[in-house]
Amino acid sequence: MTLYMVQRCLFDHLRRLEAAGDGPRPDIVTEGYTLTDEEKRAVTEPDIGAIYAMGAHPVIINGFCRALGYKRADYRPLLEQASGDTARRRTPWQKS
Amino acid sequence: MAEIVMAYSASHAPMMTADPGSAPREKADNFFSALEKVRDKAKETGVQAIVMMTGEHFTNFFLDGLPQVAIGLDEEHLGPPEVWLQVPKKMVPSDAGLAAHITASLIEQGQQPALSHGMKVDHGFMTVYYWLDPTMELPMVPVVLNCTTPPLMTTKQFWDFGVAIGNAIRSYDGLERVGLVAGGGLSHFVGEPRVGDIDEEFDRWFLDQLGRGDLSEILSVPNDVLAEAGNGTGEVRAWVALAAAMGSAPGHVLAYEAVYEWINGMGVVLYDGDQPAASQT
Repeated sequence: MTLYMVQRCLFDHLRRLEAAGDGPRPDIVTEGYTLTDEEKRAVTEPDIGAIYAMGAHPVIINGFCRALGYKRADYRPLLEQASGDTARRRTPWQKS
Repeated sequence: MAEIVMAYSASHAPMMTADPGSAPREKADNFFSALEKVRDKAKETGVQAIVMMTGEHFTNFFLDGLPQVAIGLDEEHLGPPEVWLQVPKKMVPSDAGLAAHITASLIEQGQQPALSHGMKVDHGFMTVYYWLDPTMELPMVPVVLNCTTPPLMTTKQFWDFGVAIGNAIRSYDGLERVGLVAGGGLSHFVGEPRVGDIDEEFDRWFLDQLGRGDLSEILSVPNDVLAEAGNGTGEVRAWVALAAAMGSAPGHVLAYEAVYEWINGMGVVLYDGDQPAASQT
């Protein structure tokens, strides 16, 4: 229902994983969060591109991808597909 | 009164401790050699405690309550929460008297830091701190900055904050030799389509300003333009604050490497310690 609820759900999941340590990995919990069916699908499937397109905070996306086993920039294609082409503005430090 | 006998800024990519061997040997050696020089400087100056500023990574705060600046006020802080960081978990000592004094002084100077008890010190602190003191016995006062969640303080506001924190440290009479450290940056992108990119032009442009002791160019860059260099690059706000605390002194750029294996521009800038009458008004 709100972007905050999606992010809260993911954040709490990451904290549960951290608390579990080397023990069994808990599944993501969606009960108790006001989520639409699409939001539930995105976080449980999971659909990283959809979570990005919703506007989730990049630190949460990064943490969630790391928890899923993605290394370094390996999740980049998932976000590129979701973002389409985005123009970059010229910056004061840009020489080329 | 305390003097800031050493100050430095350094990148804090988690991979620098979690998987240091993944970087090209020459690049890693250059970066780590710079951190060793900093460690030597700490021994040489006999620093009694450090104050360390770094970005918040949703370790201590979340979107339900996110301060722009928060200071850890306890006698010790647990670090790091990341089990994969390859840094031993430990209660890291602090100096609660210094932390309380800095907080009060900042407020007197017009800043509004949040108070924090139970603060944890994550990779933002521990990667750099562990290289400074592998025994993790050197007291560290942690200061977390919001560098990733808009609306953000501008670089100019962090410059003013840095002047104030420098004044705060120098007006503390409980210690004589304090270090100031900034962790984070240089350019990097996380959780967005450009993850993995490094804006080397930005990094060299910024380091050049630090080396000259003239940050006027970056202080005029709006937040939305700064973000073009990477959504993690905003952590250079800590570097700006540190430069301000050192009174526009030129920094010594000890190392810069674009380490794509760590998805981070990695740099170290060291400042000379206080000269007599360095305190600002």
